[in-house]
Amino acid sequence: MKSTAMKFAVGAVLVFVLQISFLNAQDGSASHQTPSVTVAQEEPAKTASASSDNLPDAPGLQAQAQSQTQSQNQNQNQNQSQNQSQDQTQKESAPSLGDLGFSKAEEQGNARQQALLDKRTHMLKIHQRMGLITTIPMIASVVTSLNAGGRSEGTVSRDLHVAIGALTGDLYGITAYYAIRAPKIEGTETRGPIKFHKIMAWIHGPGMIATPILGAIAFSQKNNGERVHGIAQAHGPVAIVTAGAFGAALLSVSLKF
Amino acid sequence: MKKNLLPLFVLFALTSVYAADQTWVLKQSTLTYHVSHPLHQTDGVSHAARGKGVCHDGQCDFLIAVPVKSFDSGDSNRDLHMLQVTRGAEYPMVQVRTRLPESAEGSSTIKADLDVQFAGQTAHFQQVPLEVKTEGKEKHITGTIPATLADFKIEPPSLLTMPVKNEIPVKVDMTWSPQ
Repeated sequence: MKSTAMKFAVGAVLVFVLQISFLNAQDGSASHQTPSVTVAQEEPAKTASASSDNLPDAPGLQAQAQSQTQSQNQNQNQNQSQNQSQDQTQKESAPSLGDLGFSKAEEQGNARQQALLDKRTHMLKIHQRMGLITTIPMIASVVTSLNAGGRSEGTVSRDLHVAIGALTGDLYGITAYYAIRAPKIEGTETRGPIKFHKIMAWIHGPGMIATPILGAIAFSQKNNGERVHGIAQAHGPVAIVTAGAFGAALLSVSLKF
Repeated sequence: MKKNLLPLFVLFALTSVYAADQTWVLKQSTLTYHVSHPLHQTDGVSHAARGKGVCHDGQCDFLIAVPVKSFDSGDSNRDLHMLQVTRGAEYPMVQVRTRLPESAEGSSTIKADLDVQFAGQTAHFQQVPLEVKTEGKEKHITGTIPATLADFKIEPPSLLTMPVKNEIPVKVDMTWSPQ
């Protein structure tokens, strides 16, 4: 019976000691911080005047009032520090990013990578604008081709077709430059409509090289009074396929299929 | 023998009062953002979110984080542009913090105040409604965060000179389990 009571007393004392040490640890950490709440101050002493109503209290009563005010302030301080410690405990118990198990590479920002992305976006925006601008002379060169070849003997429409074709080629070259030179992001797999857009480049790219070459041969034959013959006959079909691939590439990233 | 165990029992019972914290772990998630454009309607999906919730003194603090680059819209070029415009390389994580009362565990609908860190900005969303379904010990939470590009000072991307809409609602579908 006595040993049971002893054990119970030891247990209770141990719990009490644990509680006190826990509270002391919280108070210790809270005291290092600058308190955000100002402590309530005592009322300033009134200045003496001739009136009997303003005479100061007797020393005994003054001491009592002061001790009461001091104990009130101490209680306020304790409550404030307890609230602060509770808030701090809450903040300490709140999970942090490190608790979630992400790798440091995933958590840390990379300004260099961001700069690379910014440059890539800037160049591809120019590529997009130039591609849209290129469609105008490309359509015009297809339209002017109707009167440029065949049995037509006139040179005005042919010269116009050559000039617009040359303009198309130049703008196409600028468009291609910004796409080719835009920074590539490592570890990125090409997926989605952009894959089709890139595949089309393998058709309209060589086409935009072959078309003016074949066109120059055809132009020369025509200027010599010959009918367009041989490989120069491929100028028209190659140009149509090239324009078609170019249009498909443009639509693949503009519309949702 | 039983009387000798009594003080130990009392000691454990008293100490367990101070060890009542409960921890929740995000088991499964699907986060989906929606972007509207006159020519395109796009959804980007991520399953890579991780989260933790700690309950203490009747209050539960939750943190959910997801890498920006984990969102997949089906087009790698679009995802890279999204990463650039949201400054995802500089601020790689979206973080969502909220505090809920522990008593909300039994509710079917809760309204949460969310602090969202994204693209280097912090936005506060008040009283976001979330539906809670209890599935055994797990909690299945669904809802939509009414985010906008302006909340995070993101310049609206454009296609063919037409910008996307400001509203980018984010649907959340999460399964939490106690640890």
